[in-house]
Amino acid sequence: MSAESTRTAMDGADNLTDFISDATEAMERYLTFRTDNLIFGVSTNYIIEIITNHVITAMPMMPNYVKGIINLRGQIVPIIDIRLRLGKPAIEYTSTTCVIVLNVDSVFIGIIVDAVEQVLDIDYSRISSVPASNREELVSGMISMPDNKVVLLLDCETLVNNS
Amino acid sequence: MDNGMDNMLDMYLFETNSLLEQLDELLIEAEKAGDFTVDDVNEIFRIMHTVKGSSAMMEFNSLMQIAHHIEDLFFFIRENGLDSLESSHKSTLFDLMFRSTDLLRAEVSKVQNNEPLSDNVDSLTEEINSFLKKISKDNKDTAPENKKTAKPAAKESVKPAAAPVAVVDLDEVRMDLAECPDDNAAYFLRIFFDEGCGMENLRAFMLISSLKESGLEFNFYPSDVETNSQSSVSIIEKGFYLALDSREAADAAISQINNMNNLRSYELIQNVRAKSAVEEKAVEAASAPVNQENTTPANTPAASTGHQMPSKQNLISVNLAKLDNLVAIVGEIVITESMVTSSPEIQNMKNLDSFLKATRQLRKLTDDLQDIVMSLRMVPVSGVFQKMNRIVRDMKQKLKKDVRLTIVGENTEVDKSIVDSIGDPIMHIVRNSMDHGIEETAEERIKAGKNPQGEIILSASHTTNEVIISIRDDGRGVNPAGVLAKAKRNGILTKPESEYTQKEILSLLLAPGFSTNETVTEFSGRGVGMDVVKKNVEAIGGTITITSELGKGMCTTLKIPLTMAIVDGMEISVGKSVFTIPIANIRQSFKVKNEEVIYDTEGNEIIRCMNQFYPIIRIHRLYNIETEVTNIEDGILVWVESGDKSYCLFVDDLLGEQQVVVKPLPVYLNSFNIKDSGISGCTILGDGNISIILDVLNLYAAAHN
Repeated sequence: MSAESTRTAMDGADNLTDFISDATEAMERYLTFRTDNLIFGVSTNYIIEIITNHVITAMPMMPNYVKGIINLRGQIVPIIDIRLRLGKPAIEYTSTTCVIVLNVDSVFIGIIVDAVEQVLDIDYSRISSVPASNREELVSGMISMPDNKVVLLLDCETLVNNS
Repeated sequence: MDNGMDNMLDMYLFETNSLLEQLDELLIEAEKAGDFTVDDVNEIFRIMHTVKGSSAMMEFNSLMQIAHHIEDLFFFIRENGLDSLESSHKSTLFDLMFRSTDLLRAEVSKVQNNEPLSDNVDSLTEEINSFLKKISKDNKDTAPENKKTAKPAAKESVKPAAAPVAVVDLDEVRMDLAECPDDNAAYFLRIFFDEGCGMENLRAFMLISSLKESGLEFNFYPSDVETNSQSSVSIIEKGFYLALDSREAADAAISQINNMNNLRSYELIQNVRAKSAVEEKAVEAASAPVNQENTTPANTPAASTGHQMPSKQNLISVNLAKLDNLVAIVGEIVITESMVTSSPEIQNMKNLDSFLKATRQLRKLTDDLQDIVMSLRMVPVSGVFQKMNRIVRDMKQKLKKDVRLTIVGENTEVDKSIVDSIGDPIMHIVRNSMDHGIEETAEERIKAGKNPQGEIILSASHTTNEVIISIRDDGRGVNPAGVLAKAKRNGILTKPESEYTQKEILSLLLAPGFSTNETVTEFSGRGVGMDVVKKNVEAIGGTITITSELGKGMCTTLKIPLTMAIVDGMEISVGKSVFTIPIANIRQSFKVKNEEVIYDTEGNEIIRCMNQFYPIIRIHRLYNIETEVTNIEDGILVWVESGDKSYCLFVDDLLGEQQVVVKPLPVYLNSFNIKDSGISGCTILGDGNISIILDVLNLYAAAHN
């Protein structure tokens, strides 16, 4: 296999000190990633691993956001570009571009993101719903950070069900 | 991996389902023969007993109730002999049994789907009960008559002397029998334990429980062995008596007893007193040909036909998921092996003699391993075929048509996953034949010079890599004019009627939105037509063709690949992509010159091979792949064929032949109808890259939409 570097989703956890509030029962860990200057969060329960520089085999006659399939240690995983899925313009892949491999109810899928950021513990009670007027597809909720950034929570079920 | 069978419920479902299947098969066979054999009755009794027991354990009340009542019914039949049943009763019994198994099956599937069970099955159980009452009453009335008429021949052939165990003259032991006064059993088995072995009563009790475990029903004397230790005295003096109803039961008990320790001797005593009461049975038992160990009762000639239990000891049931894992791993091994042996590092080395020898050996072993693993998944199609018996039977009654189903080659083996998915298509076709194919009345058939009884032949056979299943009926056949008119009405004609060939007309039957019967019946014509059958068959890589001659019948042929897990493929390249075309689909590959290519009015490329014209499909154009090979002279044409489609694929290059392990496409991609774009799966090549497996049939459709 080519230069495939794998790091676990938990690497970023070290950066995160100030934001761990009193751990209550309704906490969940989220990995945040950046795409088109938006910060998304995805529950670590779904994450298998993060990979970079993987050879993607293109699949013909697919929507443009379906980039193809990869061989992940014998398992065939489809790859989609989250940018294109959200209808944003495509950009050249850079060194920070990577693939987050998710397992959503036994459906495997890899999503191409601009960069991964960190792992956060997020309290369920602080998640607010998306305003109905500008409801964005694939976002199940949002949460604001102490540093005034807003994290959009990725709706993984909708992502794989692809209605 | 956890063992799925550990789960009690799984175990229960597996067991009950296979028992019900067995029961169904047995009933069909018995109905064909028009009678139950003694073996059948015992078998049904045993099945119902097991179902009752396990359902009670799992607290599935409705199942238990039904099984319990059927068990009662068959207990009675077993006790009274089959001859006590009149023929009218038999047909009622068959009907009742079929309905009961249907209900049982429905309940089991409810369990399977986690739905609540019916809490009221009284209507069926009452019916069984009233039937039981009826036959038990009739039996008393007709019993004496029956005895005389049914078994005169058997009586003459009574040869008690030939019994393997001497039947002692009853007078000699009459005194002993005083111990067990009120038993009408036909036989007593008198057992003596080893002298001075002690605890005779407990030994007797152990003997009883082990015999009961093996399903025998009997009484025993002294009857208080379990509680009364004094009974051992009488056992030592007079022996221990088992009272058995029939010779078969006695023989079964003897074969069990022979395996036990501490037994000194035993003798079999025929009970004369009981004879008058159950004379018929005694006669029947005694008339058995007794010179063999496993005696077959004389009145069971039909018992020899195929529904005996296979020897279970040599079979184990394995979770299919485990088997799939094994197949997957063996597939990986095959790939890794070719990765190792063709590794570029060793290509440059010298003196590889011993290495090459070892790799040859390895290849042979992996090939063997693969063959064995693939054969593990192979199961005979008989299970599916047997189910058709039931369908034909039911429809025969409902439609009042006389049809017989002939099954040929039911032992043909196919991959388990294929067996599971051909059931519905075959059922649909058989129903169509019953409903539309076979003539409405016998007169109509006689007028056409045919046997008044219609016939449907279901056959299966092998070729090297395909299973061919055909469903043939000798009915009316397909009327081309009718088909065309119907197709026109439904608006599925694509060209003028006169241009349709016979073959094309028949393939209209498989087109979506076509159903030849005007009226919807219970069995077929429910809006899902042959197009669904076609889809199902194609989903497992098969093809379906129909041939028919008006007035002579119709034949539907399914060709299905033996296995889908490993295929011989040709690797081809287009740009940077690698595709696999199944070798089975390839007829030929060749280079062409520009001037050989012909263009039609729309500019489509056509090539002529062997005096036929075939369209050319450029994969790079269809799939929008960037490649430098766009001139037809630079690339190569692969002539492929599948079903009724034959055409040429234009590709950059052939990379070579390889056995590939088919991996299903990710579930996620199915939502984009990927199958319709001519891709059936993918495979991992020796270098870890992915090759996409092309589906020749769907590719053609994709190119023309």
